[in-house]
Amino acid sequence: ARRLMRKCSDRGAKMNDASVQTLLDILSGVGEKNVTNSLLCTKTLLMEKVGQMMDWASKRSVIRMNGEKFRRFVKAPPRNYSVVVMFTALQPQRQCGVCKQADEEYQILANSWRYSSAFTNKIFFASVDFDEGSDIFHMLNMNSAPTFMHFPSKGKPKRADTYELQVRGFAAEQISRWIADRTDINVRVIRPPNYAGPLMLGFLLAVVGSLVYLRRNNLEFLYNKNAWAFAALCFVLIMTSGQMWNHIRGPPYAHKNPNTGQVSYIHGSSQAQFVAETHIVLLFNSAVTFGMVLLHEAATSDMDIGKRKIMCIAGIGLVVLFFSWLLSIFRAKYHGYPYSFLMN
Amino acid sequence: MDGLTDSGHGHFNTKHKWRTEFSGCNYVVKNDTVANHMRVVSLSSFLLRFNYRSTHHLTSNGFYEFLNWFDERAWYPLGRIVGGTVYPGLMVTAGLIHYVLNLLHMTVHIRDVCVFLAPIFSGLTAISTFLLTRELWNQGAGLLAACFIAIVPGYISRSVAGSFDNEGIAIFALQFTYYLWVKSVKTGSVFWTIGCCLSYFYMVSAWGGYVFIINLIPLHVFVLLLMQRYSRRVYIAYSTFYIVGLVLSMQIPFVGFQPIRTSEHMAAAGVFALLQAYAFLQYLKDRLTKQEFQTLFFLGVSLAAGVVFLTVIYLTYTGKFSLSLMRYLCPPPRYAKIHIPIIASVSEHQPTTWVSFFFDLHILVCTFPAGLWFCIKNINDERVFVALYAISAVYFAGVMVRLMLTLTPVVCMLSAIAFSSVFEHYLGDDQKKDSPPTEDSSDEDDKRNSGNLIVTMLMLMLLMMFAVHCTWVTSNAYSSPSVVLASYNHDGSRNILDDFREAYYWLRQNTDEHARVMSWWDYGYQIAGMANRTTLVDNNTWNNSHIALVGKAMSSNESAAYQIMQSLDVDYVLIIFGGVIGYSGDDINKFLWMVRIAEGEHPKDIRESDYFTPQGEFRVDKAGSPTLLNCLMYKMSYYRFGEMQLDFRTPPGFDRTRNAEIGNKDIKFKHLEEAFTSEHWLVRIYKVKNEGSSRTSSFLRKARS
Repeated sequence: ARRLMRKCSDRGAKMNDASVQTLLDILSGVGEKNVTNSLLCTKTLLMEKVGQMMDWASKRSVIRMNGEKFRRFVKAPPRNYSVVVMFTALQPQRQCGVCKQADEEYQILANSWRYSSAFTNKIFFASVDFDEGSDIFHMLNMNSAPTFMHFPSKGKPKRADTYELQVRGFAAEQISRWIADRTDINVRVIRPPNYAGPLMLGFLLAVVGSLVYLRRNNLEFLYNKNAWAFAALCFVLIMTSGQMWNHIRGPPYAHKNPNTGQVSYIHGSSQAQFVAETHIVLLFNSAVTFGMVLLHEAATSDMDIGKRKIMCIAGIGLVVLFFSWLLSIFRAKYHGYPYSFLMN
Repeated sequence: MDGLTDSGHGHFNTKHKWRTEFSGCNYVVKNDTVANHMRVVSLSSFLLRFNYRSTHHLTSNGFYEFLNWFDERAWYPLGRIVGGTVYPGLMVTAGLIHYVLNLLHMTVHIRDVCVFLAPIFSGLTAISTFLLTRELWNQGAGLLAACFIAIVPGYISRSVAGSFDNEGIAIFALQFTYYLWVKSVKTGSVFWTIGCCLSYFYMVSAWGGYVFIINLIPLHVFVLLLMQRYSRRVYIAYSTFYIVGLVLSMQIPFVGFQPIRTSEHMAAAGVFALLQAYAFLQYLKDRLTKQEFQTLFFLGVSLAAGVVFLTVIYLTYTGKFSLSLMRYLCPPPRYAKIHIPIIASVSEHQPTTWVSFFFDLHILVCTFPAGLWFCIKNINDERVFVALYAISAVYFAGVMVRLMLTLTPVVCMLSAIAFSSVFEHYLGDDQKKDSPPTEDSSDEDDKRNSGNLIVTMLMLMLLMMFAVHCTWVTSNAYSSPSVVLASYNHDGSRNILDDFREAYYWLRQNTDEHARVMSWWDYGYQIAGMANRTTLVDNNTWNNSHIALVGKAMSSNESAAYQIMQSLDVDYVLIIFGGVIGYSGDDINKFLWMVRIAEGEHPKDIRESDYFTPQGEFRVDKAGSPTLLNCLMYKMSYYRFGEMQLDFRTPPGFDRTRNAEIGNKDIKFKHLEEAFTSEHWLVRIYKVKNEGSSRTSSFLRKARS
């Protein structure tokens, strides 16, 4: 019985003295049969583990684990609960932007489960940070973060127990669907209402309001047509150069060819674009616009004739030059487009 | 692979653009001239077929019958209520023209009316754009604007003959409504406002985009109030417009009570209330002393704010009205990408790249900010309107490619203003300029004139480039990808691939009248319209789970698919296969979307990852995933293809679209048999063997019990 006990306590190293004492009492009280003992030991250990997990889960919806905890509570039998583990690298020096976003979604999911009425001890949500448990990453042969894995209550994790992040994305709804698929537990994702947007709006309004209030004696700037026109033009140019596409798709700034080291700023296909490219287009568009305005000014302003002539030449030069340049970029992207102007 | 995920596929609800680049092969989707349209009378492509069918129904059965029309030919076994779920403007317009012509004893077929409706309305659009620009700037700008909108690619995609589409008439209604609105703000006369309301009513009946009007006009009024440009004219115009427009728009069955319920329309109501309050205060101001007025003002404002606040809280609390402002501010594709694969799958619901802007607008996209600049510099009531129009439209166009359509008219107008204000000073201004600077020597004058000439020439050259660009785009990209495909040989001669019509004709002649044809939803309207057979799903994608069921059947193995097809009573399966000719818009290239949509509803049975190789590639050759190589779509596409050698340089079974030798050449069917394959293998039709003796479907039995 003593040997058995040591085994038990070896497995459950976290047990405190009191619990070891109780266990000892129970064990010595019950008797000789090894089978019974080991069963009982397993059961007790299980209860212990579940109790500990519940305790943690009640404190934080996502249990943070290091290597040791992970091995004991997730890897080692006995278990009657499933664990979903997010392997991640949240330390700032790791510079993992996706990890942060994935973590937010994961927290939402775990919280929805934690505070739902269906909360049981059948499933727990945990996370392992690379900087706290790099040995786990090595053990599982994992070389990318974030990764979601499900450890079923019985048996080893299969292929489908690793969540396909690339394919399904890390939206909480998708993860919950995957969990439902793996464990038959449905987690209804409840997103906390997003106060950030209205708050920002309120903040902005307050800033604008206070600015106006501070300068209430001099509200001339509100009637400045140039400022308004400039703001409107900025907005329009930003939109027509495809910044919204960048915002939604998040393309790289430019592409560097790893073999030659050459940097290309223009994407080769007409279906996609780089950020650098949109900035170039923005610049060209505004140059053409500016040229048009200059041409108009040259004809209408009351400056002397020499200046007006220069303005006129600059205007038409800007329009023609930048438009043909833009056309040549377009031609490079849109294969099979036959026309060009001034330059190829 | 790149093209596959990027271009998406299909034609969602309204219209289509075909901007897929055909990699490496010389097959270009292209239509022919109007004459060819007449011969073929292809009401180009997919969903337009549905509009035509509805119009036909309307003319042959009358208006009330049309409103009550239940179409049992579509969405078998569910059917579809048509009358209450479409915007009837298009059908009624075509029907009315047909009726009038027949009344005058000019017997034309309704089909001819439908084919030529879009060009007629694009002419009307040009006229209303001219009128609107003339109100905003001057006659010269108006003429330029009309020229621009007549040829600009962004609009011509809806105005080619044979494009029988809601948007075609809706843009006319949009521009005309705006013209009448500007006119009524300028004059303050109820006559123009009522005209504006009627035009608005027409717009509501034609297109869901009317929401743009009902938000832009209140915005205009609101900004006018902020700019302290309130006048009696604005008050009359907006009060009349709001009330009459509201009542009229509620007459359309599909719109119903939405204008007083949904949050899209709340801005209009709010501005209406605000305008009344403002007018009332103005009235009081005239009657009261300053001190009294101030007290009253603060009392009134705080009371009003409190009431509005409480009402909103109450309504939100009871769930009658959701503050879904964020839905509009946050770009829809991002929202949809996460939640609804069927929306993400449609190429029109994507954000817009700068290439699309340039492709659709060419020089106009660079010059219209200049027009905006001139408008804001010389601001007045109606120019506030056009500035707001430009800013809101450019935002929406940036978010969704499809909404480029609403941006196009305003870009034409503003560009026209920019060009016309340049031309005004450089073109034929000799006489005017001659008189003031008398001190200039004639020598300098000559120089200036030559300078002016150069500027004018260069500008005209740019405009010429624009015209050439428009012609090229129209003939290459936007002449509707109809059911007829054309291919070009190296020497430039043209082959016509008429496989679609061949197949639909076969269906019509050789199958039972009540046969049910399963296909992917892109071809639903075509099958219903041209083959006159019952379809399971079609381009009106109102029922996602039904589409997912079809997707599941296509992506399961044969026996599982057979069960689904049995339960849905399918007699024939139709697929599009481009491997022989290298046509990239075929079903295998769309296949991943079928899988995704099926997975959305049946995550236990279909998994997208099963269709990829372990490296995450989508391959049809030997290295492809076994699930893919044995699914129904693959088998149907490549059945007997392994025996076929297209070229001496390539092995048998070489797929030209995907440039790969197929991985499963030994395909045998247990429950299906090949019924028809068109000349270039573009359309393949399979018959589902009927093994069970009972023909009544489990579906119908279930429905009866």
